[in-house]
Amino acid sequence: MPSNIMWVEKYRPTKLTEVIDQKEIISSLQSLLKNQAEMPHLLFSGSAGVGKTTVALCISKQVLDDRWQTYTLELNASDERGINMVRERVKKFSRYAGLEDIPFKIIILDEADEMTADAQTALRRIIEDTSEHCRFILIANNISKIITPIQSRCAVFKFTTIPEKMIVSHLKSITKKEKIKSDDKGLETVSDYSGGDLRHAINLLQATASLGEVSEANVKASAGLTKTKDVTGVLKLALDGKLTNARNKMIELIKVYGMSESDFLKYINRAVFETKANNISEILETIAKYDYRILVGSNPEIQLSALLAELGKFGKK
Amino acid sequence: MMWSEKHRPQNISDMIGNEEARTAFVEWFAKWKKGTKPILLVGPPGIGKTTISNLAGKQFGYDMISLNASDVRTKSRITQVLTPVLGNITVLGCPMIFVDEVDGIHGRADFGGAEALIKILKEPTIPIVLGANSDTSDKMKSIKKVVKTIYFRPLPPRLLRLCLENILKREGAKLSPGSLIKIIDESRGDIRSMINSAQAHVTGFNPPTERSFETLDVETGVNAFFKANSIDEARSVIYSMSINPREKINAFYSTIITSNLSKEESGKMLEVLSEADMLYGKIMKTQEWRLLRYLDEILLGLYKKGTSIRYSRYNLSWSLLNRLRWDGRTIKALISALAKNMHVSKSTFATFYFPYILFMIKNKQLDLELEENYGEIIEKEIERLK
Repeated sequence: MPSNIMWVEKYRPTKLTEVIDQKEIISSLQSLLKNQAEMPHLLFSGSAGVGKTTVALCISKQVLDDRWQTYTLELNASDERGINMVRERVKKFSRYAGLEDIPFKIIILDEADEMTADAQTALRRIIEDTSEHCRFILIANNISKIITPIQSRCAVFKFTTIPEKMIVSHLKSITKKEKIKSDDKGLETVSDYSGGDLRHAINLLQATASLGEVSEANVKASAGLTKTKDVTGVLKLALDGKLTNARNKMIELIKVYGMSESDFLKYINRAVFETKANNISEILETIAKYDYRILVGSNPEIQLSALLAELGKFGKK
Repeated sequence: MMWSEKHRPQNISDMIGNEEARTAFVEWFAKWKKGTKPILLVGPPGIGKTTISNLAGKQFGYDMISLNASDVRTKSRITQVLTPVLGNITVLGCPMIFVDEVDGIHGRADFGGAEALIKILKEPTIPIVLGANSDTSDKMKSIKKVVKTIYFRPLPPRLLRLCLENILKREGAKLSPGSLIKIIDESRGDIRSMINSAQAHVTGFNPPTERSFETLDVETGVNAFFKANSIDEARSVIYSMSINPREKINAFYSTIITSNLSKEESGKMLEVLSEADMLYGKIMKTQEWRLLRYLDEILLGLYKKGTSIRYSRYNLSWSLLNRLRWDGRTIKALISALAKNMHVSKSTFATFYFPYILFMIKNKQLDLELEENYGEIIEKEIERLK
């Protein structure tokens, strides 16, 4: 019987008490929520798949109850085109409908660290202008990329990586509920591949389960599907001096599938460490150079192509 | 050497056009005595005001002291420069003064420069010649009260052509009839500008054609750039490509990325394009359009003699271009809808969800109950899974 839902959604906690790990954060958030009227804006930081978005959604459900969907605006900075889009959407949202019996509306802005410093400065103004009726929950991977004026306006919560043991036991509980056969080695392998990202782990678990039991062999057969593998492929082609192939693959990732340029750079950075090149620091320096140039320049494709071409000089001859 | 200097007339009789004005001017010189009103030459740039003053001064045995607007901005400066000339004639032999661009002395900014000049003009002890492009400003009106005005007119095309053909003959250069007419036409009677553009045209772009002087379209421009025989020729091509800078950079990008170049060559050229793109990005962000003047010089770094690079409009193969246009559109719409449900960005969804979802659909373990029109693309993408 095929499932008609992704397990990440099916097993996403709906109450703060159900959240995996992050005990300290949960308890201080619960005390904050005792006096809802005085709840400050919140800023969550931490790596991917540790529960930031889930906690934000739990708060929204707890504060707004069964009308949480109406009164919550979810934005993802990496999807919005510029600060003006954000401003328009926030403006529309904060203006519309009354506030009869809810304390405030909630705006969840995910990947806020994808915004430029200028956009964040504008965001700060938006936060101030709407704070009478709205609370912001800002989410970022890297808190150092959030400008300090915004940090100082928020209660900051730094999410920690979930220990492997907890990931494995959580995966185990899912397999039990789904009545899927699994062994410890298989679950540990899932956890290994996910690198502490519980969301990725659950996706991989479900993909593996589509082959049958969660065994090491099945996990290995399902892992490596993610597009980060394709980025690793681009890096290898570039280092081999195969510019055209590398570029075609990169363009496919970005223009067909919609991988963002900054994610592409993030994954290619990681991929460098997987290659056994002995000039890693020079390769990273080159990536850094073009990462900067994308920010300054106007056509990321030109900059990324130039990056791939320059990587060609580091490959084995 | 600039042709406009090299071919400056050596005698007043060698000059062309404005016969009456020239005659009047020579007469004024011939009859000049202490107290004769100074003379004001009014006319557009490049028709010989400076030339005739120089030649007349020489012909009548004066030592000409030339000033231009920047020398006569303030009263103290004018007094400082001109008082010794006006007072002590014997030291300098037989001086005369030529002040060019008097209409450039701006009223308030020039701290009494105009007034000081008028005071001198009222009691001339030596010949004073003024040059101006126009005599309509208030300041010019007060100057005109104390001088005699002679008007110079723009030269008619017939005379310009005569002059230009003469110079080309002496230089041993040739221009096609089309270019010749265009140069004459665009000079609007300014003989200096006409000679300058003729020189730029003849030396800058070889072989000269009508097209080369017109603005170049993208394809012709890029091809002519890489076919150029020298960097100077390449420069003149790139300067005459009249498309917006974004298009210019992109045209070179699509051309280079699709050319069959060595690893080193393409690396070097893409680095140049990367720099050009950075400059353009800075311009867009700061709106400092003056920086645009450096763009062509950066792009000139792409020039290399004897390459076989030819213009290409598209920077991708047809198959990828089509996939991008058709599959890309559907995939993006699908990803966009699903990403929202999963509370993640499209990019994250594309990377960590989409491939797994396809895999599970393939294994018949997931049915997301998607809209029917996504069926085809999902099958296609499942095929692509390794």
